[in-house]
Amino acid sequence: MPKRSSLPSLLFSMAALFTASLSLAADKVNFQLDWLPGGDKSPIYVGIDQGFFAEVDIEVRINQGRGSTEAITRIATGTSDIGIADIVALLQARAADNVPVKAVYSLLSQAPHAFVVKKEAGIQSVADVKGKKVATSPFTSSNIFLPLLLEKNGLKESDITLVKTDPGALGPMLITDATDVVISWLTSVDRYRSQAKQAGTELDVIPWYDAGLEFYATSVIASERFLKERPDVAKRFLSAFHKSVEFAFANPDMAAKAVNKKVPEADIPTAITTINSMRTLVYNSVSEKDGIGTITPERLQLTWQATAKAQNLNVTDFDPESVVDRRFYMEQ
Amino acid sequence: MKPFVCFNKVSHQYQSNTTHKVQALTDINFHINKHEFVAVVGPSGCGKSTLLKLITGLMSPSEGSVEIFGKTMHEPRNEVGIVFQKPTLLPWLSVLDNVTFPLKHQHGKVASEAKQYAMTLLKLVGLEQFAHQRPAQLSGGMQQRVGIARALILKPEILIMDEPFSALDALSREIMGFELLRIWEEEPKTVLFITHSINEAVLLADKVLVMSPRPGTVVEELPIDLPRPRNNTTLKHEKFAYYADILRDHIFQKHAALNE
Amino acid sequence: MNKALHRYLPILALLALIPLWELICYLANVPNYILPRPSVIYDAFINVDKMRWLEHLWATVRVAVLGFLLSIFISLPLAVLMVQSSFLNRTLFPLLVIIQSTPVVAIAPLLIVILGAGEAPRLAITCLITFFPIVVSTTTGMLSTPSELIDLSRSLKGSVFRQIWQIRFPFAIPHIFSGLKVGITLAIIGAVISEFVAAEKGLGYFVQFSTSYFKIPQAFAALLFLSIISLLLFQTIRWIQAIFFAWSLPAEEQK
Ligand SMILES: Nc1ncnc2c1ncn2[C@@H]1O[C@H](COP(=O)(O)OP(=O)(O)OP(=O)(O)O)[C@@H](O)[C@H]1O
Ligand SMILES: [Mg+2]
Repeated sequence: MPKRSSLPSLLFSMAALFTASLSLAADKVNFQLDWLPGGDKSPIYVGIDQGFFAEVDIEVRINQGRGSTEAITRIATGTSDIGIADIVALLQARAADNVPVKAVYSLLSQAPHAFVVKKEAGIQSVADVKGKKVATSPFTSSNIFLPLLLEKNGLKESDITLVKTDPGALGPMLITDATDVVISWLTSVDRYRSQAKQAGTELDVIPWYDAGLEFYATSVIASERFLKERPDVAKRFLSAFHKSVEFAFANPDMAAKAVNKKVPEADIPTAITTINSMRTLVYNSVSEKDGIGTITPERLQLTWQATAKAQNLNVTDFDPESVVDRRFYMEQ
Repeated sequence: MKPFVCFNKVSHQYQSNTTHKVQALTDINFHINKHEFVAVVGPSGCGKSTLLKLITGLMSPSEGSVEIFGKTMHEPRNEVGIVFQKPTLLPWLSVLDNVTFPLKHQHGKVASEAKQYAMTLLKLVGLEQFAHQRPAQLSGGMQQRVGIARALILKPEILIMDEPFSALDALSREIMGFELLRIWEEEPKTVLFITHSINEAVLLADKVLVMSPRPGTVVEELPIDLPRPRNNTTLKHEKFAYYADILRDHIFQKHAALNE
Repeated sequence: MNKALHRYLPILALLALIPLWELICYLANVPNYILPRPSVIYDAFINVDKMRWLEHLWATVRVAVLGFLLSIFISLPLAVLMVQSSFLNRTLFPLLVIIQSTPVVAIAPLLIVILGAGEAPRLAITCLITFFPIVVSTTTGMLSTPSELIDLSRSLKGSVFRQIWQIRFPFAIPHIFSGLKVGITLAIIGAVISEFVAAEKGLGYFVQFSTSYFKIPQAFAALLFLSIISLLLFQTIRWIQAIFFAWSLPAEEQK
């Protein structure tokens, strides 16, 4: 009876095909971005383009994202295996929900938050912001650290006038003196610079890390399941990723081109500018001391303290060490 | 011979909401013989449409029984055809398909003989040239004729008409009255004809039932002894005004009595 | 007025707006990041490769149309159920209102978690935004069937299926089409929202990409594209009605 035997035999041959393809093909890894592609995401693109992942027998698929929280959720639910997100968001998520996601590599050892001011305004430090108008967009994660920053610099929240407004309006407001200060990420400062240039003025940037806010930001995070089931793949991935990071900052134009090749919407000049503007967040005194990628207990504790303070959480309620797994990335 | 339609002590109540009941009909008794043309007149709200629904079997009376061919009605039957107050044709179907619609609705398809018969009916109501037009292209009177043809397609023995010409202007209404008589003489049927118009009742019917205001009951059964075929000259017949006056008296006396 | 002129009047009115727009922006010196001028939008438009435009366009139209079809597929049976059963009508309607008034953006991340990262959550979002007007208009249409016809159907002892299929449903066609016309414009909005939340292609994604890199003229070019698609899809629904259901149009729209 051919009818009866056909289904099992079909299943059998499919299974055989499947296992065969598994044993032949490279390890597949789904990589999650925390936002749309651009220069700041270039390491993963240039790593693929340069064949760094292929060298270690890994095939990477990139999933674009819409924010750190979403990236963490997608990794936690298994849509992606590994990806990037702000470690602050991960600390919050684990403190609240114990999501099965761990940080395995630190990409930005300094947070990107900064004040942008007009050069002529004469604002040189955070303390100078006293009595000024400060504009920010409603949803940026910078807002939660603002009170802490003011406190560390001897200011009170009442010392400034804070305005929340659409991100698109921030640049124009600064140029037309509708506000004295704009809160921005270092990676976006160039937008304001070019707007200011059109209007014939120049800008100054005051990074918050220079004013006492010392903590980690964007990190590589992975699902506990991925780390448990494919530890070897995770190790190989991180070594290739590290290589990609170094390559991207050594060759910004190639990195920008690699992004543009996959995602034509991301234009090359903008991507190069972004890569250069984030360089200090990766290459700085912290990474010089600890090495890029390393997450030290001390600095992690600082990060958690800042997070807990900003979010009104009890610092002792949660051990930040539970968020990290250091077994997968070792500095070469 | 047994009567075709027979109402025995029929009363009907509507449950308008959980507590409130409306007594629409009380103690209705009458019968209609084969191929008799019976008109029902009465003030608005006296229960004429309720009466119709009971004959068609769409409802069962709260009390008493409605018999057709000597059998109690429990559910709708093909022997009863209905013509509504408004033509209510289906605008997406041609005139011909509207006429055959009851067959389509009952059996899912329409045999070609049935189509032929529908054409015969359209000829009978004078609309054979309009068979393939849409209802929207027809006048109100023409639409109502399609409604009549639709009611006849299942070859009913009994034809129920609920104020079929009330939506028409006075002139078309008169013409349609004579048309109906002509159709009735070509295809004899037992007809129950509900109307507001006393003249229409006298002109068309063999017998007129007069109903009282709610709760409705039959207060008078008046045989109309006018010669057939009836036509324009019937209106001038000496007894025409006489019958109309009797009916008028019945309807308005009742009203007067209520108003006192 | 000349008949052809009358017909193309809406398009001419839109075209006349363009120089006006250009002029106002020029005179008032409106910066491009607030309201770009048409000429700047045009430049941004031709700066993007045609194939890219087509790809984004196709992705959005695909989600909008498939989501719209899906919502029809769900709405019509739902409307039938609600017309047939007053119990379902009373229990389902509040539920539908709740679903409709929930901001889809708020539950979108949830949908992605449940449905995965593929096209499914996008279709679900579009469908969620679209189905309500279709259900409501279909239900209203079916309930507006003259009671005489329902009596006729009952006197013929027609089955429930035929009562719906041969009487109630066709009677609801004019209402259904009003619902579909509202629905198709919402479908575009739904597709765009879904692309804001999860997509790597599509005009909504492109708008988001452009605004997040402050390429406002490019975003406007995509927005104009979206308006054109909305108009075309809306017109398509009207054509379908005019060709297949001409009887359901009001007398002055029938030619
Ligand atoms: N479904 C119903 N529920 C409750 N009451 C009803 C219902 N249908 C009719 N009635 C009531 O029953 C009474 C008789 O109604 P019916 O429609 O039979 O009157 P009618 O003589 O046909 O009136 P008209 O001449 O205006 O058509 C009215 O008082 C009406 O309010
Ligand atoms: Mg009535």
